[in-house]
Amino acid sequence: MENMNMILNQIPSPTWNWLHMNETQVDNVAVGSQGRILSDIPGGVSVKEENKAGLNDKTALGEDMDRLIVSSGCKVLSIRREKEASDSGEPVRLTFNYEADKAAANAVEIYVEEGAELTVIMNFESTRDAAATAAVQTRYHVAKDARLTLVQVEKLGDKFTFLNDIGGEVDELGNFTLTQLVLSGKNTYQGAYNNLTGKKASLQTDIGYMVLSDQVLDMNYVAYHTGKKTKCVMNADGVLRGNAKKVFRGTIDFRRGCAGAKGDELENVLLMDDDVINQTIPVILCDEEDVEGNHGASIGKLDESLMFYLSSRGMDESEIYEMMARARIDAVTAKIADAQTREEIAQYLGDAIEE
Amino acid sequence: MKEKAVVSDINRSMYDFRYSDEDAFKLEQGLTPEIVAQISKEKNDPEWMADFRQKSLEIYNRMEMPNWGPSIQGLDMDHILTYVRPKDNKMQNDWNDVPTDIKDTFEKLGIPQAERESLAGVGAQYDSELVYHNVKKEVAEQGVIYSDVESALWGPYGDMIREHFMKLITPNDHKFAALHGAVWSGGSFVYVPAGVKVEIPLQSYFRLNAAGAGQFEHTLIIVEEGADLHFIEGCSAPKYNVANLHAGAVELFVGKNAKLRYSTIENWSKNMYNLNTKRAKVEEGGKIEWISGSFGSHVSYLYPMSVLNGKGARSEFSGVTFAGAGQNLDTGCKVLHNAPETSSYVNTRSISKGGGISTFRSSVVMTRNAEGSKASVSCASLMLDDISRSDTIPAMDIRTPNADVGHEAKIGRISDETVFYLMSRGMSEEDARALIVSGFADNVGKELPLEYAVEMNNLIRLEMKGAIS
Repeated sequence: MENMNMILNQIPSPTWNWLHMNETQVDNVAVGSQGRILSDIPGGVSVKEENKAGLNDKTALGEDMDRLIVSSGCKVLSIRREKEASDSGEPVRLTFNYEADKAAANAVEIYVEEGAELTVIMNFESTRDAAATAAVQTRYHVAKDARLTLVQVEKLGDKFTFLNDIGGEVDELGNFTLTQLVLSGKNTYQGAYNNLTGKKASLQTDIGYMVLSDQVLDMNYVAYHTGKKTKCVMNADGVLRGNAKKVFRGTIDFRRGCAGAKGDELENVLLMDDDVINQTIPVILCDEEDVEGNHGASIGKLDESLMFYLSSRGMDESEIYEMMARARIDAVTAKIADAQTREEIAQYLGDAIEE
Repeated sequence: MKEKAVVSDINRSMYDFRYSDEDAFKLEQGLTPEIVAQISKEKNDPEWMADFRQKSLEIYNRMEMPNWGPSIQGLDMDHILTYVRPKDNKMQNDWNDVPTDIKDTFEKLGIPQAERESLAGVGAQYDSELVYHNVKKEVAEQGVIYSDVESALWGPYGDMIREHFMKLITPNDHKFAALHGAVWSGGSFVYVPAGVKVEIPLQSYFRLNAAGAGQFEHTLIIVEEGADLHFIEGCSAPKYNVANLHAGAVELFVGKNAKLRYSTIENWSKNMYNLNTKRAKVEEGGKIEWISGSFGSHVSYLYPMSVLNGKGARSEFSGVTFAGAGQNLDTGCKVLHNAPETSSYVNTRSISKGGGISTFRSSVVMTRNAEGSKASVSCASLMLDDISRSDTIPAMDIRTPNADVGHEAKIGRISDETVFYLMSRGMSEEDARALIVSGFADNVGKELPLEYAVEMNNLIRLEMKGAIS
């Protein structure tokens, strides 16, 4: 099987090289063949397998990811919510059930036509002891006044390497809502490059993660504002334990002409053990006068007043930390409208705690 | 439709005057081992320093240009004069003995007046050499040493300088630190003995007069246990059509329970590449305070770094950057927390107008040793028109769980409502905007001695109004 050395998650505006945050180099990534997807497609949604990509939007992981997908020879799963089609309100469910020792690659394209709405739920699963590599590249196009909700839940094995790449464009008055939960996996590289081109296009991103033992989570999110009065909100909430490592790159890029645009970015990270490594780089690039951009980050231990309050209620420190760690994941899970997915996440976390 | 104040470019005649440098002694342009050896000869370097320069040059030649930050393609080292000695140069400790042109320069910049009125001592550098150095008698009597580095190398503090010189900023740090190691000239050495508190500030002023020249002064300050010092650094240059370069180095050693405030009002001309490196190492219970105003230069890379190396060491950084037409100012700071219970506080303001680009860049790194440490970074950016640019690029690398790190950044423009309110109180729109910008930069202004805060506010007003009163 062919392997690739890859540069992933390059930040749009690099900084000091000694920080090792501008990009991530990953060597010997296995290029898989077409991965198997179990799908549940509701009425009003068309699904086709195409030989060639229909969208070529920039993605977060970068050009090496494009090469990996092309090298894999996988077909493109094209999902389309048409303008006139009847809407059952049910989500598209895609389950990527990876084999324990076989590299896999998938390309997905999602089109939501003018005025339509679609929810796509992707579950990435394997057995606990699976030791493989999987790559998924998802491109999307949200047309005028349309709405796409993409939910991704990673429940992969403790030796699994996962590349999860997203890129797309939102037209006038369109909305893209991305909710991602990283609950396991050995090395995860993920991100989304979102191009807000249409007037009043909007983006909501919520990421929850629990990175344990020697796991690595490497992220890169970009909101590229070109349309007037576009809005983005990027939130990341997570917990690091053991000797986990996490990199969060979040960029709000206000391009000239995006007058009236607003962007907010916030990361909260709870560090629970001595050997964790947390890297955060929240960036605002501003080439337009009439914008509002805010970013914030809170990293480290729990707030002292919260600790005092909970201690006074009879909880010891370790109980408080366990509760707050779970609360961070639950807070992101609560944003998922689909009850089935919420239950599956609760079940998975319950099983994980028992193990 | 929104109306905007017309903001023209600054009239910098206050700083733009120049004198002929025809009679100055200059080494040839460029950077070769022979030129570096010649500098050693001119400076009467001890052997170790001459070797250090040559090794730094080798490192410089090996290292790459930065692949991040503003473009420095307009800087051609083959056409930079690395050493310019003013005519009749001999360092004086009486202004009356300084050559007339140079004395006039510093008179126009108000340095002798400031020395008389509000400073404990003054150093004045003109191109590559110190031309004046003096410290008040009562301060000297406390054992405070304030001199040029070159003569101190041969005096009783020679060993101390050798022990500290470019140990905090090493030639391997980056290409322009290596360049500095090879061609440094001038600057100041300050030693404050244990327990001595210098009540009024010392100041060094750097003036670069020669076209196409570089200035590479080295500032080395050692503040011993329990001592206290405020050091002020000022700089300016006339504008030329060729690139000038400033690649100085500032190394600050802050002892146990000592305190050092380092204030800078940087006002280089807009043909200057300001690639300066500043670093402080702070021991247990010590504190470094950086006050930084960046108004000049064509391109700046400036990120004072605090290494908090002792338990309870603290750092505060207050900065304001104003980037106007033709300027790309990449400024910010770095903090390394390398001991328990250290704390850092960063508070910056960036203003962009007339096509200027300002970038706030920072790093907060906490090692495993930094248990119980706290860091807070706050940066705000103001865009004054739709042709300028403002970026914030803060990085945090946290490797201890028992830490409290907060970061917040805001970017936006002047609120129309605030301008309207001030105009309803009788101000013109231009004055209202100037007042808002001055208030926006108050995080630095309120930390400076009065005379320097006034100068900073004048600079802001000049940038906003485009006229000198």
